[in-house]
Amino acid sequence: MASAGTEMKPAAPRGGIGGRMVAAFQHMKRDRQLLILFIPCLLFYIIFRYGPLYGLIIAFKDYSVFTGIMESEWVGLKHFEKFFSSPDFWLLFKNTLLLGVYNLIFGFPFPIILAILLNEVRVRWFKRSVQTLSYLPSFLSVVIISSMIIDFLSPNQGIINQFIAALGFEKIYFLGEPSWFRTIYVSSDIWATVGYEAIIYMAAIAGINPSLYEAAKVDGAKRHHMIFRITIPAILPTIIIMFVLKTGSMLRIGYEKVLLLYSPMTYEVADVFSTYVYRKGLMESNYSYGAAVGLFEAVVAMILLLSSNYFSKRLGGSGLW
Amino acid sequence: MVNKRFSLRNISLFGVVNTIILTCLAIITVYPVIYITAVSLSATSEVVQGNVTLFPKGFNLDAYAQVLNDDRVPRAYLNTIMYTALGTAINLLLTAVAAYPLARKNFFGRKFFLLAIIITMFLNPGIIPNYLIVSELGLLNSVWALVLPNAIWTFELLILKSFYENMSESLREAAVVDGASEYRILFQIVIPLSKPALASIGLFYFMGHWNSFFIPMIYLNDSVLYPLQVVLRDMLIFSENGSNPSLVDAAALAPQAMKNATIVLSMIPVLLIYPFAQKYFAKGVMLGSEKG
Repeated sequence: MASAGTEMKPAAPRGGIGGRMVAAFQHMKRDRQLLILFIPCLLFYIIFRYGPLYGLIIAFKDYSVFTGIMESEWVGLKHFEKFFSSPDFWLLFKNTLLLGVYNLIFGFPFPIILAILLNEVRVRWFKRSVQTLSYLPSFLSVVIISSMIIDFLSPNQGIINQFIAALGFEKIYFLGEPSWFRTIYVSSDIWATVGYEAIIYMAAIAGINPSLYEAAKVDGAKRHHMIFRITIPAILPTIIIMFVLKTGSMLRIGYEKVLLLYSPMTYEVADVFSTYVYRKGLMESNYSYGAAVGLFEAVVAMILLLSSNYFSKRLGGSGLW
Repeated sequence: MVNKRFSLRNISLFGVVNTIILTCLAIITVYPVIYITAVSLSATSEVVQGNVTLFPKGFNLDAYAQVLNDDRVPRAYLNTIMYTALGTAINLLLTAVAAYPLARKNFFGRKFFLLAIIITMFLNPGIIPNYLIVSELGLLNSVWALVLPNAIWTFELLILKSFYENMSESLREAAVVDGASEYRILFQIVIPLSKPALASIGLFYFMGHWNSFFIPMIYLNDSVLYPLQVVLRDMLIFSENGSNPSLVDAAALAPQAMKNATIVLSMIPVLLIYPFAQKYFAKGVMLGSEKG
């Protein structure tokens, strides 16, 4: 069937560019139905995935809504210079990095522990129920989760502060204190994602050969021996690859949650690149400045993502694709 | 299990501790949802005094009556249903169609198209360029701003593509022999056979639309168009810090019970599909990680 096409080049008429064009044309003609099916997808990617890259040039211009993207004046690196020399830059850099690193380091072990503990449960209905319940937060929106955080931490009627008061301590205005913000962000993230992320480790554990456990049992191994000598070594490759991939997407802070939980009181620790772009760029209509900040963030995030993907592949993992 | 004797020897310390830990975890996961529901069903006086912990105190449905009589929440609810239905339908249709040519080994320009698609997973131009495109296309303040810019999720497209690739070729070949067009093969053979995969990715699309708040918040100006999550966010933000004097409106006075009633209403469909959906959910996560 495949008489023409890129993978059948030798069969195509020889004769340089002209011949190749004829072959390509024949290939297109043969695939015309498939190409028609592909048009919506093509348009989508051109307009909504590559189109915004064109919009990025406003980072080097003084864009205003009235002059449009093309007609706005070129200003070179003005917005980048302004951003890099402003005190906001280091603050945002620090906040984004710290939220990302804390989230990675504190959040990473929990799904693994949950998967191992679930694996040790012998009563099947209990295992199933706990696992099913652990996905529940993945079905809740970030607005609902933030609302729960606000309710629970409220200084007036929040359950946690009632508990603190009952113990005789002074109530804490958690969301108003910068020192608490990162803890709240990270711990609520663990709550929301632990069940979902445990799925991959559960599957890795399910792939372990049961005869290993049986042999160990015959040799008189205890449960903790089996966890540390069989389960963990067996899922170590998965753990390493997940860690590399998570490092790559570390800077993708859940800015929606930050946006819902922060306030001017906590900007000094909570403000990250994306929230800053939203506030300064979009809300205050400094589109060019916001695009410059966003571009900087995108470049840093892309470098991190590409390198983690590279390492994941070298380690034998699948990477992002 | 041959000798399944129930004796103390079978109950290890580890097993007991493990059960306690996992039970606590299950409680921590579910408790916030129960608490929110209890508050929404309680009398305001009890809520303010902080008496509600697990069960509703002074049970009543006033908050729900209030929320449903105020026109904002019912309207937002209808908006959310409409956006989710339209959005998910478009997502599924476009993804199911786009994955088909890409799954064909000798499709014209396959390598180039795939590369161009995968590259977009690494490029994230940011909030502002995306906003500008939507605004230049004149989509602001319309349902299309919510539906079109994310009509295909690359990750789900690649998942479905590899699902198609792993499908048996024989049915398709038989159809080709019978002279069926690609359109017929796709819509009458491939898509019906992909129902499990479509259910998985459809679930993620559905959740994405039902729960989205940032995109409607920046793309919709007209409050009549707001979906539930944006209305909820207004209630939440303004009831917590009334420090936004320019933005204070009726929502600033929304008592906790009303806000929580809205949350419960927004969670109902999700919680209803959740027991059935969680199977597809786990499958979707696994499809994503196995995709080579």
